[in-house]
Amino acid sequence: MRVKLTMTLAGLGVMLAGTSLIGHHAFGGEFDPNRPVLLKGKVVKLEWVNPHAWIHVEIPKPEGPDNCQFTPNAKCETWMVEGGTPNTLLRRGITRDSLTAGTELVIDGYQARDHTVNRANGRNVTYPDGRKLFLGSSGTGAPTDGADPTEPTGRGRGRGGR
Amino acid sequence: MRDRIFAVIGATSVAVVMATTSIGVAGQAKRPAQPAKPAAAKALPRTPDGHPDLTGVYDLATLTPVERPNGMSATLTDEEAAKLEKQAAARRDLLAQPSKGDRDAPPVGGDGSVGAAGNVGGYNNFWLDPGNAYFEIDGQKRTSLVIDPPDGRVPQMTQAARERLMANRNARPTSDAAENGRDPGFEGPTAYDDPERRPLGERCLLGFGSTSGPPILPNYFYNNLHQIVQTTDTVMILTEMVHDARVVRMNAQHLPSSVRKWLGDSVGHWDGDTLVVDTTNFTDKTRFRASTVDLHVVERFTRIDEKTLRYRFTIEDKNTWPQPWTGEYIWPATDDRIYEYACHEGNYALGNILRGARLKEATDAKTKSKQ
Repeated sequence: MRVKLTMTLAGLGVMLAGTSLIGHHAFGGEFDPNRPVLLKGKVVKLEWVNPHAWIHVEIPKPEGPDNCQFTPNAKCETWMVEGGTPNTLLRRGITRDSLTAGTELVIDGYQARDHTVNRANGRNVTYPDGRKLFLGSSGTGAPTDGADPTEPTGRGRGRGGR
Repeated sequence: MRDRIFAVIGATSVAVVMATTSIGVAGQAKRPAQPAKPAAAKALPRTPDGHPDLTGVYDLATLTPVERPNGMSATLTDEEAAKLEKQAAARRDLLAQPSKGDRDAPPVGGDGSVGAAGNVGGYNNFWLDPGNAYFEIDGQKRTSLVIDPPDGRVPQMTQAARERLMANRNARPTSDAAENGRDPGFEGPTAYDDPERRPLGERCLLGFGSTSGPPILPNYFYNNLHQIVQTTDTVMILTEMVHDARVVRMNAQHLPSSVRKWLGDSVGHWDGDTLVVDTTNFTDKTRFRASTVDLHVVERFTRIDEKTLRYRFTIEDKNTWPQPWTGEYIWPATDDRIYEYACHEGNYALGNILRGARLKEATDAKTKSKQ
């Protein structure tokens, strides 16, 4: 029990350092904690849909079923990675075109409990150098992109106009 | 073990709150409640029929919770609020820090995360868009939406309601059900049997956390936008998540009690410059905070300045609470747009969850047959 609790605390630390807590549904019911995955590949498609966006990435693998689109003369396996609602990002000026096909990503997460499908949660989606996806985009032109220092920032306190 | 995990997380989540336990009543003494100034109301926009114009898009995101955390006073001074808001910002900044590019896969057995992240870590924080400030009303920065009872907490349920809850503990989850901490094995034995056993939010029928209401509550995660469209005869309240439009019929009678609606039957009238919306005729499907079909919600919308509405709600259900209770918060106007939230379009999760449960059943049966 003590060991397990320590692991829980360690896990909590990992969680706070890397990822968030919440989704539209129970992630634990969808993904298998005993099937961790590390996916290094390139974006082939983005499903910019609700309740959750899905990023499709191709992972070069010798035994992959398909020819890779972005790695010449190689076989690839395609995975779907679950993210969050696109609406919040859209309001920050991030669109479906912000993540283009061919972009290289590193994703860690857990495979779906149905092991017959290549689906995982995007527990942590980053560029190869570790930077988080969709961050550092101040100045996008969105109403609240942070580029305007005079813009009220206290969400919940009132901002904007009618 | 499960209880202990929750205890750990509970302790962590209230840490921020505990940091404020030294807050006294000074804030309250310094900031007496001030009624809205009638003089200002004259300058507010009005519709051709002379009523205040409530039309607009509002962003309800806030740091203020529905119920006051233990140990907090009713209001915060500017300094206290700033400190808590800074802590929330620091946490967001921490979560935005780069990770190692050459990191390994997460640990086998789960990463220990709890809540909806369900031991698999959910997804990155950049998807979220919670409030980052405590709302201010009558010059007070509040620590709860609930104002009556004065302790800022929803009243204890009646004994009959508790017994009903216990008897129905495997009932279908409601729209405001906490979808946290639910892993196969944690929920009741029938929870994954069919789609209709899943929470209304997971099924894309309503947003989670009473986003559509009534009462309309902030969900503390994302997509807190609502739009009001007002005519003489009807007022429409659109909730982005999940594209629910509630049409309030002005100066009308409630439908016969045999007619039941998911968002209830809403009729409205003007009480001076305040729009009062009375809602009854609920179904037994949404069950806000375990209430029954006899739930009665009265909402009061008041424009307090050009960019802000005051939203007050009173909840009554004698089958559930011994007395009515009331909450209020502000609805700040926003220039942001409401976008379509076509929830069924990408809801692969529900299929994944149900197939996962079937796989677990098959695996468990195989294990059992070997024993």
